[in-house]
Amino acid sequence: MAEMIRKSSVDEVVNHWVLAGSCLLLMITGFAFLFHLEPVGSMFGGFNTMKDVHNWGGVVFSLSLLYSMKHYLADAFEYDADDLQWFKVAGGYLSHKVTVPPMGKYNPGQKLYYLAIVACGLGISISGFGIWLMKDDSTIMLLSHLVHNIAFCVFAIAVPVHIYLSTLANPGTFQIMVNGKLPLALARKRYPKWIKAVGKM
Amino acid sequence: MANENNSRKAILVTPELCIGCRACQVACKSWNQLPAITTKNNGSYQNPPDLAGTAFNIIRFNEVPSKDNPVRWLFVSRRCMHCDDAGCMNICPTPGAIFRTPEGAVATNSDKCIGCKLCVQACPFDVPRYDEQGKMSKCHLCFDRIANDMQPSCIKTCPTGALKFGDRAELVTAAKSEGYSTLYGEKDLGGLGSVYAFKEEPNLYGMLENPRIPSSVVFWHTYLKPLSYIGLGGVVAAAAIHYLAVGPHKDDKEV
Repeated sequence: MAEMIRKSSVDEVVNHWVLAGSCLLLMITGFAFLFHLEPVGSMFGGFNTMKDVHNWGGVVFSLSLLYSMKHYLADAFEYDADDLQWFKVAGGYLSHKVTVPPMGKYNPGQKLYYLAIVACGLGISISGFGIWLMKDDSTIMLLSHLVHNIAFCVFAIAVPVHIYLSTLANPGTFQIMVNGKLPLALARKRYPKWIKAVGKM
Repeated sequence: MANENNSRKAILVTPELCIGCRACQVACKSWNQLPAITTKNNGSYQNPPDLAGTAFNIIRFNEVPSKDNPVRWLFVSRRCMHCDDAGCMNICPTPGAIFRTPEGAVATNSDKCIGCKLCVQACPFDVPRYDEQGKMSKCHLCFDRIANDMQPSCIKTCPTGALKFGDRAELVTAAKSEGYSTLYGEKDLGGLGSVYAFKEEPNLYGMLENPRIPSSVVFWHTYLKPLSYIGLGGVVAAAAIHYLAVGPHKDDKEV
């Protein structure tokens, strides 16, 4: 066995799955509400029950989102010159010939993605509670409905990209969300600045 | 849409003919088995004061004194307008909770209503109300009666012809030929299913000028809804093309 290094704590992996699971559940039920997808409603025993699933799934998502800040928020606000260069070569995703600058634990794409999820996640959670609990305030209802749907569009576009980049586009990455570890040799290539920082280069 | 449908039915309200007897309110309660509401006198004969979960139609008592008639009352039937472009139907997240009947009525199915109250916000006329079970309720043009070639109960009972029911196009033509200069709802929101024949300006009768679905709801319906699925489909397609054209990340380069 190759020597492994832990990139994500158990706590982080578990919370990521709670966040991912609740997010997908909310997106599927959300699409069902938006486009009257009766087969999806039937899977929950009707739209009345699906509304409860959507509301309480939103509670789980909100709490999980807040907890995830403990893991990612500090990193997501730190950028350096390599990050700028990373954008200039589009992260190496559009061509394998370019030289991608050395990265830390997370690349700037991941960091900006996280900030977008935090911003839209807070927006969609707060507006969701507005629609759920403040039905009789016209301004709150209309504003919440708009914010909820704008944030939903961001999720509908950003989440599939995140899933693709973390699975098919970068083989070996998905495993980090299974057991939190990856081979040290691979980590040295992908996250050299992080490995240097933990003294295992 | 229902507007182009020649079979579209409508209610024609003619306040000039209304004597304010409110038999229509009673008939509606009777047919729909709605309980009475305890109300307080608020200085007007208008009672109940507004639409409610158990009051699908009311007669508004507009006190509009004129020179030759110091105690002039304009009685205007208030109810669901059965809009062609119905905000409540646009925003409702539940299939079948609010539906269009073949006659063009906007009807409700409380079994399917999930009680989210979004329809209240999207209605330009502040019509949807919630009953004690937390379900939306409003005038449904007696869709059960009209589907069986009967008149809505309020029309059936009206003694003066202030409420008329029939083919929308015919009612509009007849009202114009009888000299009613203003037909409120003829064109608004794709054409309303409750049309009002006035001899003076609609605001005199307490009608909303230029009824509109809230702009945020229109924006959502026109742009955000398509963006959500086009965006999702677009990025999934882009990912597939990327996988085939560029391929996954390779770690063969030495750092």
